[in-house]
Amino acid sequence: MSSGAGRIRLIFGQPSSLASDPRTSGLSVRPGQPTMMPMDHKLPIQQAKSDGTIASVLLKVEPAPSVSSLYLHIPFCFHKCHYCDFYSLANTNHEDFVGFVARMGQELEAAGRYLSRPLDTLYIGGGTPTLLGPDLWRSLIRHIHSHVHLAPDTEWTVEANPETVTPDLMAVLAAGGVNRVSIGCQTFSPTHLKTLERWHEPSSVVAAVESARDAGIENISLDLIYAIPGQTLGQWEDDLSQALALHPQHLSCYALTFEPGTPLAVKLSRGLIDTADADLEADMFTLTRRLLIDSGFCAYEVSNFARAGRESRHNLAYWLNMDWMACGPSASGHVAGIRWKNRASLSEYLHTSTPWPTITDLEMPQPARALAERLMMGLRLARGLPYESLLADAEAIGARVSFVAALGPLIDAEHVIVDQHKHLCLTEQGLLLADSVFRQLMSAVFDPNC
Amino acid sequence: MHIRNFSIIAHIDHGKSTLADRLLQITHAVSDREARAQLLDSMDLERERGITIKASAVTVYHEYKGERYELNFIDTPGHVDFHYEVSRALTACDGAILVVDSTQGVQAQTVANAYLAVDNSLELLPVLNKTDLPGSMPDDVAMEIEQVLGLPAEDCMRCSAKTGEGILELLDALCVRFPPPRDSVINETRCLIFDAIYDDYRGIIVFIRVFDGTLRVGDRMRMMSSGRTWNVTELGRYTPKATKVGELNTGEVGYLIASIKTLDDVRIGDTVTLDAHPAAEALPGYQEPLRMVFCEFYPSSSGEKGAEFETLREAIHKLHLNDASFTFEPHHSEALGFGFRCGFLGMLHMQIVQERLEREGGVDVVQTPPTVPYEILLRDDKVLLINNPADLPDMSHVAEIREPIVRIEIICPNESIGDVMKLCDSRRGMYKSQKFLSDTRQILDYEVPLAEIIYDFYDKLKSITRGYGTMDWELIGYRSDRLVKLQILVNGQTVEALSVICHRDTAEQRGRRLLIKLRRQIERHQFEIPLQAAIGGKVIARETIKAVRKNVTAKCYGGDVTRKRKLLEKQKEGKKRMKMVGNVQISQEAFMTVLESGEE
Ligand SMILES: Nc1nc2c(ncn2[C@@H]2O[C@H](COP(=O)(O)OP(=O)(O)OP(=O)(O)O)[C@@H](O)[C@H]2O)c(=O)[nH]1
Ligand code: SF4
Ligand SMILES: [Mg+2]
Repeated sequence: MSSGAGRIRLIFGQPSSLASDPRTSGLSVRPGQPTMMPMDHKLPIQQAKSDGTIASVLLKVEPAPSVSSLYLHIPFCFHKCHYCDFYSLANTNHEDFVGFVARMGQELEAAGRYLSRPLDTLYIGGGTPTLLGPDLWRSLIRHIHSHVHLAPDTEWTVEANPETVTPDLMAVLAAGGVNRVSIGCQTFSPTHLKTLERWHEPSSVVAAVESARDAGIENISLDLIYAIPGQTLGQWEDDLSQALALHPQHLSCYALTFEPGTPLAVKLSRGLIDTADADLEADMFTLTRRLLIDSGFCAYEVSNFARAGRESRHNLAYWLNMDWMACGPSASGHVAGIRWKNRASLSEYLHTSTPWPTITDLEMPQPARALAERLMMGLRLARGLPYESLLADAEAIGARVSFVAALGPLIDAEHVIVDQHKHLCLTEQGLLLADSVFRQLMSAVFDPNC
Repeated sequence: MHIRNFSIIAHIDHGKSTLADRLLQITHAVSDREARAQLLDSMDLERERGITIKASAVTVYHEYKGERYELNFIDTPGHVDFHYEVSRALTACDGAILVVDSTQGVQAQTVANAYLAVDNSLELLPVLNKTDLPGSMPDDVAMEIEQVLGLPAEDCMRCSAKTGEGILELLDALCVRFPPPRDSVINETRCLIFDAIYDDYRGIIVFIRVFDGTLRVGDRMRMMSSGRTWNVTELGRYTPKATKVGELNTGEVGYLIASIKTLDDVRIGDTVTLDAHPAAEALPGYQEPLRMVFCEFYPSSSGEKGAEFETLREAIHKLHLNDASFTFEPHHSEALGFGFRCGFLGMLHMQIVQERLEREGGVDVVQTPPTVPYEILLRDDKVLLINNPADLPDMSHVAEIREPIVRIEIICPNESIGDVMKLCDSRRGMYKSQKFLSDTRQILDYEVPLAEIIYDFYDKLKSITRGYGTMDWELIGYRSDRLVKLQILVNGQTVEALSVICHRDTAEQRGRRLLIKLRRQIERHQFEIPLQAAIGGKVIARETIKAVRKNVTAKCYGGDVTRKRKLLEKQKEGKKRMKMVGNVQISQEAFMTVLESGEE
């Protein structure tokens, strides 16, 4: 497939359902594989000057992009968990919420320009979106309906924290069109919840799942964390069984990471807690995959597991390096090869004079970077990336030889394979060492001469 | 005009540089406004560490009883590694101010430097410093000086280099008590080179003391050792700003510039004479300092290959212009690639060179553990000097391995004597003598293999004496012992840089301990790494570093792309101060584990 005209068509003409695959570890319908070299946009490479928002940058992209995924960030939490490095504020009040929802309405109106087609996916994350409560949710939903087009099969996810989920709220969400909730349950052990400084009762997870189902939201995902200091393999297995007992459609299981600057990382550096043993963590990772695959899930990404056809389509857009718009403080967007991040400041967000928030970390399209990101994100998926199109991308930046050279030892070491669908994939062993595989491939892309 | 040439000598931190500051200030060589602490310590590293590394010579003027005195003095370093700086400074002097901190008393380098001055037949003027401090005990310290050095207690001057108290009296006293320089003994000109530095702007600056005759700008000078000649383009004194003069006369101290290109052309201790009327005989020479500690420097694995080695090469050459007291030669190691093997006066000297290479040369250096030189007696009676365990010939040709033995003198409080003796015994020390310095302190003499003290001995001494112990060492010769080479294999490959020569009786234990430490220091790789210790080809211990099983970012979503990508890019550059041995990354810390010979 030519990498040119294909891109736009592929992204927008992509089947919105990524139906299931008989392979436990993959997806069947491979939408035409977009090559991520942006070719048919006249791109404002480098010369674009920003007025501090993404608006002026996007204005110069021709033809005007039309994006089919949207992320909204709600930066409020009742309390800050100790491992959390998301942008969310705990010491806020109802007034802030009201101002925020109105402000987001303005931003959606402006962003609507790039959301002319029915959305394939809409994801509302945080923070704790469910902290807003039914009334504010009604007005947020109103804003959404007035500025974005939704289709009957739009995947619309809302992140929920169990203690904030009520039957009322779930009814409001469902009526508004939300069809998927992702519930942060993390662990069912009170001791480990305490280590994470996560303030909810294990039983509230059960109630939250019930409320969602009663409201008619069937597509339920649960977030779990393992390798918590002090956690045993048995305890983790127990968490997994308790989660499975709730019959979720989707599970995200993350090894705990100590993000710089979080209270947990500080405790670690002071020696107050210790990381889980490296071998234990690897055992937990392997156990998770085995157990969930045995229970009928497909392990479609490093940390994500889904019932057939229930993969997170929104997250797939990230992993496949597709385009999405982003609204709200700290949200990151990716459109036509351009990456940006809205500034992580609620007060600034509430008081800017333009509807667009100010941004940081603007990155203009750059083919080598795009390929590196494509590899780093796409190989996280069990189905991998189409080998031929990777080669074409590498060729386009003069890195084909070094890319193939870097693959050689990785194939020999059985860390990657090219499967029967001609997809480059990580093997089970390569998956465990994914970061070093990515590092080697990315350096071949960035320094083709070494 | 009267001339007095003297040095300021002392144990480390007893206040030499501060005293030098006061001398400059009270003689109005620098204004109060210009005065700053340790003015003569001009290197960044000297200021940061608060120690003097290089001696520096200055001239000031003082009026005493209506007569004008030109005072040429040299501030010297106190640390044992820089002994040679002191001894060469002393060759230019007729007297020495022996500074003793009156709160600390006589310490190891007080004794060592005092003897050095006496050996050079200098007049000693003891000064009890820091009398402003509440803990000052000048009377007791004066008694110690009398007891240990035989200088009458009542001859000790007292001052505070900090407040300036007693400095004027000291200036007067040195005019009286130090002898004037001797007169010319021959008609030809002879000047002793006692130091040389490389200045980025002015090239080589040579410090001289004129012993006979006169040296003038425009003279054709000749180095007596090499016979090479140059035109003298500039003469002067540091006051402490460089001040040009037309000539330097008998007895005077100053600098000379003569478009000399490299420090290699200047041998410290050499005699400068005139090409037209050369002296027949050179002044008594000066002994080359001995390099007793050797290690290799390699560019760290990060970055492009090749270019890194070039940067290191340039940095070493440049630094050598400033410090000719370390030696270097290119070296290739099978495990570590291209680097340099360097020789140093001691451990501090080695650390300072490494620090300056990184700081001034901008290279990231991996340093192999330091070793001492060994004398190898071969079966055919030839003697070989090696400074690298890797150069040890096949043991079937070796009759004896001889190691350097030093005499150490430790001054410590009575209550820690037992522990200090235990420490010396554990390092194969041989007890020599024990003397009382005062009611509360003693001087211990031991003979110890140098290899046993270069790394952590001094730190251990400091900790068991709660900071009060001080020590000096001096090479007395080489002695044979039952020594063997302990080899370390990483992933099946011998890493010579990790090999050590050690005593047979402790070799196995040491090998085992070393592997355990290495196992903790080398990060897990994607494969299992066997570690082995071997003596004469026989493996005596093994350990295994397990393979990494998991290295994958748990969460990676839309907002993480940029940050995660940058993180991976950064890791790909490799960590700093790492060296690849085969396919194993070894950190600087891991290399250094072999040094901790000590008791757990
Ligand atoms: N209170 C007090 N402190 C002093 C006096 N003289 C020096 N010091 C302090 O003692 C410390 C060491 O002084 P230096 O002059 O650097 O000592 P040094 O002998 O030149 O040291 P090295 O060159 O490293 O051997 C500094 O902190 C000085 O400020 C004094 O008379 N009184
Ligand atoms: S609920 Fe989520 S966003 Fe809020 S503090 Fe906890 S981890 Fe962070
Ligand atoms: Mg000093």
